Amino acid sequence: MMNSGFDRRDFLKVLGWGGAAVALSGCGNGSVEDGKETVVSYVETNDYMIPSISVYFNSTCAQCDAGCSITGRLREGRVLKLEGNPDSTINRGKTCGLGQAGVQHHYNPDRVREPLLRTGSSGEAITWEKAYALIAEKTKGVSGEEIAFLSGGVSGHLKVLLGNYLDSFGCKNHFAYEAIAPAVLRAANKKSYGVEMPRFNIGKAKVVLSFGADFLGSWVSPVHFSQQYAQFRKGVDGQRGVLIQVESKMTLTGANADRWLVVRPGTEGILALGLINALGAHGVALSGDVAAAVKGYDKARVSKDTGVSAEQIDKIVALLKARTPSLVLAGSAAEGYAHGSQNAAAINLLNQVLGNVGKTVEVAEVVPFPQMAPTTGNTAALRKLNDGLAAGKYKVLFSYAANPVFTAPGAMKFKDNMAKAGFKVVFAHYLDETALQADLVLPLDSALEDWNTQVPEYLATCAQINIQQPLMEKLHANTRGMGDILLALLKQRRAEEYKGFEDYYAYLRGAMLKNKAALGGGKLDDDTFWNETLSKGIVKLEGRVGGLSGRASAAGLTLPAPAAVDAQYPLQLIPSVNASLRDGRHTNQPWLQESPDPLTTIVWDSWVEIHPRKAAELGIVEGDIVEVSGKNGSIKAQAYLFPGIHPDAVSIPLGRGHEAMGRYAKGYGVNPFQILDPVFDKETGELALHETRVKISKAGSRVIVVKDEGVVGGMQMGKKIAVRVSSDKVKLSEEV
Amino acid sequence: MSVSNLLENWSEFRHLHPVDDVPHDPYKWAMSIDLDACSGCNACSVACYAENNLPVVGKEKYAHGQAMHWMRIERYWDEDGREFPDQGAQFLPMMCQQCEAAPCETVCPVGATNHTPDGINSQIYNRCIGSRYCSANCPFKVRYFNWYDYPTTDNVWPAEMNQQLNPDVTVRGKGVMEKCTFCIQRVTVAKNNAKNEGRIVHDGDVQTACQQACPTSAISFGNLVDKESKVYKQWKAQQVELDKDAQAKDKNEEGRSELRGYRIFEELRPYPSVMYLERVRESAV
Amino acid sequence: MHRFLRLSVLLMGLFAAASTFAVDAQTPALTTEDDLGPAIEQPIEFPHVRHAKDMQINCMYCHTYARRSAVAGIPPLQKCIGCHQYIESVKDKPRIKTLFEYWDAKKAIPWKKVHDLPDFVRFNHERHIKRFYFQQNRPVQEVCGYCHGDVKEMTVARRSKLLSMGWCVSCHQKEHPVSAEGGTPVGNQVPWYSMKKPPADASGKVIKAKGPNDCSVCHK
Repeated sequence: MMNSGFDRRDFLKVLGWGGAAVALSGCGNGSVEDGKETVVSYVETNDYMIPSISVYFNSTCAQCDAGCSITGRLREGRVLKLEGNPDSTINRGKTCGLGQAGVQHHYNPDRVREPLLRTGSSGEAITWEKAYALIAEKTKGVSGEEIAFLSGGVSGHLKVLLGNYLDSFGCKNHFAYEAIAPAVLRAANKKSYGVEMPRFNIGKAKVVLSFGADFLGSWVSPVHFSQQYAQFRKGVDGQRGVLIQVESKMTLTGANADRWLVVRPGTEGILALGLINALGAHGVALSGDVAAAVKGYDKARVSKDTGVSAEQIDKIVALLKARTPSLVLAGSAAEGYAHGSQNAAAINLLNQVLGNVGKTVEVAEVVPFPQMAPTTGNTAALRKLNDGLAAGKYKVLFSYAANPVFTAPGAMKFKDNMAKAGFKVVFAHYLDETALQADLVLPLDSALEDWNTQVPEYLATCAQINIQQPLMEKLHANTRGMGDILLALLKQRRAEEYKGFEDYYAYLRGAMLKNKAALGGGKLDDDTFWNETLSKGIVKLEGRVGGLSGRASAAGLTLPAPAAVDAQYPLQLIPSVNASLRDGRHTNQPWLQESPDPLTTIVWDSWVEIHPRKAAELGIVEGDIVEVSGKNGSIKAQAYLFPGIHPDAVSIPLGRGHEAMGRYAKGYGVNPFQILDPVFDKETGELALHETRVKISKAGSRVIVVKDEGVVGGMQMGKKIAVRVSSDKVKLSEEV
Repeated sequence: MSVSNLLENWSEFRHLHPVDDVPHDPYKWAMSIDLDACSGCNACSVACYAENNLPVVGKEKYAHGQAMHWMRIERYWDEDGREFPDQGAQFLPMMCQQCEAAPCETVCPVGATNHTPDGINSQIYNRCIGSRYCSANCPFKVRYFNWYDYPTTDNVWPAEMNQQLNPDVTVRGKGVMEKCTFCIQRVTVAKNNAKNEGRIVHDGDVQTACQQACPTSAISFGNLVDKESKVYKQWKAQQVELDKDAQAKDKNEEGRSELRGYRIFEELRPYPSVMYLERVRESAV
Repeated sequence: MHRFLRLSVLLMGLFAAASTFAVDAQTPALTTEDDLGPAIEQPIEFPHVRHAKDMQINCMYCHTYARRSAVAGIPPLQKCIGCHQYIESVKDKPRIKTLFEYWDAKKAIPWKKVHDLPDFVRFNHERHIKRFYFQQNRPVQEVCGYCHGDVKEMTVARRSKLLSMGWCVSCHQKEHPVSAEGGTPVGNQVPWYSMKKPPADASGKVIKAKGPNDCSVCHK
């Protein structure tokens, strides 16, 4: 790493745009033009700045909340590529495709560049002074109950500033919203283990039984889990780990399973209880309450309800008994029902029966600064905000890092309700659907231009605070960092308290230095500590470690019988989460649009996955435009016949179907969020993403599906291209 | 290889390919990809776009088969007629296999694609006339043709996006063929650094973009001549040999071979430089 | 022995095709001769003759990147000022005044590129300087002059060599001495450069070698 012992501020000052032209010579088409091309030299340089030599700076990936540390490669003042930072215990030098595309968030041509004030139906560019004055004016005399702040998950110093700003109004209306979050699981974990997010040690497990947890794709901390998965496959003592995935629609993780079990949608919990029952029958000791809870779940019934054969249940039970420790995971597919909490509780119970708690389900360390701990988002928060907006409770609405107009179910009528707020301020990188509804849009610095600290929700092997720092000079003069904006707003409210901080950088530096000893820098002078912190991009801490609590009682754990077939809407709609598009906030990054969905290999468009058997029943072939309609609207998309889905379900990926957000997102595909039924988990109030029932009909036309797989649809035609071997035929322990 | 040199020394040049008496020295770049670790997540592919200035062609051109993904993930299903793919899918990262006896090289009318001494199948853009013979002759279909002028008329990198372009890699214009280069720009830097220090490149000095990104570390890249390199050890452990068209594993298919290294289309004798390790599936469930 | 590539038919095809496209085309003859580039107007008429000849300043004092990096770059403005702030005698000369105007405004000087190579070419300054200046101990002005001509006689630099591929190759095909401690070329890499075993002394140690002759070394 070349980045030790320099002052970041100096670096940014001298950087300028000099040298950019030298480097850009790689971009033309190659005619030699002596004396025509300009080479701009630096005015001043530091020693490490040598044309054509890359410089690396550490920061934190902001593409999702997993908190992977990244290293940006810079040439002549431009960030070219992001790599993983090998020192991070979360991602250990690795990145996912989503993380790689972070540069396209930064260089995106559709970023908002000026503060925009709504005048009628269009936006007028205004100055920051005017924007701040407007906010001061609109919040003047407004009580705390009349202000609402919507955000995604927040942590670190930004959360502190945000909290203080809201405090200055006496406002308690901070709504942390994530459209796709394991919120039900957090609540269930809290009950089962005493913590919301324990550490799942996949690498140590010999069997992983995952109920729809797409940990290789989009679940919680995929890059971290992917590495653990690689270790798990190699085996702890030479015995290769076995992955069994239970779900109704195949995820990327399901596609990597040794055994992929398709279950009737919503019956994951029943299968879990059935397995406990069967384990009991095979001699695993069950405590009284557990035995009572699983009593009715004999093999025959479970097999009938879930569609998993009794023989298969026996095999899994035998495997779970023979190979320990195992690990059972409850993922979004199990959570997404009205009985999601019960599903998750039943699955967690299986972990306890198998004795995995304390072995592969471990206690996670906690960053010892509770004020910086992550406030994780969920959908219950959105529901609450939406109700408040509908009642016309809010005079001022702020929105940051969320796009509810796109991601809220259409039936919630969020867009209409948002209009009822008096003054709507949206902090935005792009003019997305929510920003378009704002009265005032404030343009943000990209994640590669902004300062921040972040505490990841899922900590790997040690507690850590991640540093996010500018990798290069700002692209646009009139964007601001979120921290700087909050600081400016706080100065309106508590001028005395914050006048000492020139900007967010000064605040951040001050706050970190104040806690230098607690952050492990007690012996260093301020500058050395600060420079080292920035150079590493991570502060590793002695985390607080508690214990996992004893298990919750299984008494009262019941699961509803599988829903009866609805004659009018016979199919279950499974909105699927694609590892790169997630909830649609990155759809405007063209690499991700053109990166094929791993399972269907489709690009640039949405599709409806239908099992070939169901498709044959309905006379649907690949490329047919089908109408998927439910109680809350309908959408049309191309059909794709997909063997990895329950015949009574159809699946449409989330993330596409934008009506705004720039050239790479707008107008591609459809948005299944819009037709979701507003069904909520009974215990947590979370939106039950998988509870929508639909019918499907051909809409007449047919298109050629744009996909990467060949015309024969992923067949090798007898050629040995991708070869599979049975585990008893190899000796992995003898390999390199 | 300048053309005059190529023509004058053709037989000698060909002789210098790795045959028993004249092995590669000091470099032979090669890969091994563990399909049991590969999860098919596409991170390698996106990393390749970022490193190698690959144009995003858009939906319409993608539909015409004009995608430019040097590194693509192929996904296969089992073909035994089961109703559900209950053993998952087969993922396979596919890129130029850097064949030792590359079928593309022999058909290029202008010598634009040829072999480097360290065993990479190089593509010289300014020499390429766009005949596309190489692509037609490639059994792996990993060569991609620039049907359009992506940097200019197609405006694939509009303002600001163009600042991300890697200055170490040419932005290709219309009418030239391109393909995976084993990140030759990174290899070149590592080789120059090593030369400056009067040594050869050590294992780990150079990583390809796909290897560096891969979350499961399924991809290894290195020097097959260097007996300390991971790639050498992997090839050796799997008894896969560069200049053989049938490996130990193939000979013993009926029995328990306990090996899983193979190369694709070995029987066509292109002698690829990429060894794949078979995906393993548990027999107990 | 397993020689899988002796395919004379393909070879013939290649020969015929290649001659049509490449050899018979109007390739410049291999040459080291001079070829004067256009005179270029620069924002400041920089007198190389004053610095390199009269003052005897080492090329690498200003062009410091050349020995450390593939790209020579242009010296930062700070470099010029570093000396000129102490040179009172020329401070009121128009060129120096312009220089300080740029410095006071903290503005980069928009120099025009004199030696431009196509974008698909990868030329490495560092390797050439290492090879001939540091390992062979040739005078620096001679080493830079191989490609840049007699800069010490110029005011504004002007291209004086052809810088075409044939021109580059003409030098790469010469046998240059190899010093024992230089480490270049390494090991048995030598034969690859030229296809022929390079001259060696009695002990078999390589004493001379040609430059790399492999497309991908220079073409990116």
